[in-house]
Amino acid sequence: MPPPSDERSEKQAAAQQAVDILHEISTILNCHLDRRTLSICISMIENGVNPEALATVVKELRSKGQQHLEQAEPVPAPAAAARRR
Amino acid sequence: MAYLAELGALTGELIAAVTAIPEDQRARLDAYRESAVRSLRHHKFGQTNQFDVDDRLRGYEEHFRVVNREALADALSKRLGALKPHHNQWTPEVLHFILELSDQPAQKSRLSD
Repeated sequence: MPPPSDERSEKQAAAQQAVDILHEISTILNCHLDRRTLSICISMIENGVNPEALATVVKELRSKGQQHLEQAEPVPAPAAAARRR
Repeated sequence: MAYLAELGALTGELIAAVTAIPEDQRARLDAYRESAVRSLRHHKFGQTNQFDVDDRLRGYEEHFRVVNREALADALSKRLGALKPHHNQWTPEVLHFILELSDQPAQKSRLSD
């Protein structure tokens, strides 16, 4: 029987492998998820979060993140850009 | 209480990962976290149906073959096979989550990614 620390590291390696495979599936299905975000989402699901509610929250956060980027670096509108010329 | 603290902490990490809003905008981050936790706790979605998830994944594989994305279909089939030894009670729910975020893979997915 392997010592407990070996057993733990084997379990960790198996969990990492599972996350790698799930990340590859998410890439094949074009989910726009990086590995870190997917790992956080898996932890949330393992804590009882509903997957559909979580997907809705991720979509809302992406939209808020995009708005934040646009506010931080406003893209000049074509008319405003033309006036400046 | 411990559950709420854990959910709040994970939601904070998720917001940091998805939005890239800097830490100094604490008020905005806190507001987003509260709103997200509320949405995660109070929703109308049902439980994951494992058979529905399997059907949707098989449907994607068939669709990829129909639109001549054989390599994509093979890649998906191979990963689903590799996932079987790691299957646990959460696997159908994680796959459900992935399916909900899927964005026109037949048109947009590139195997080089």
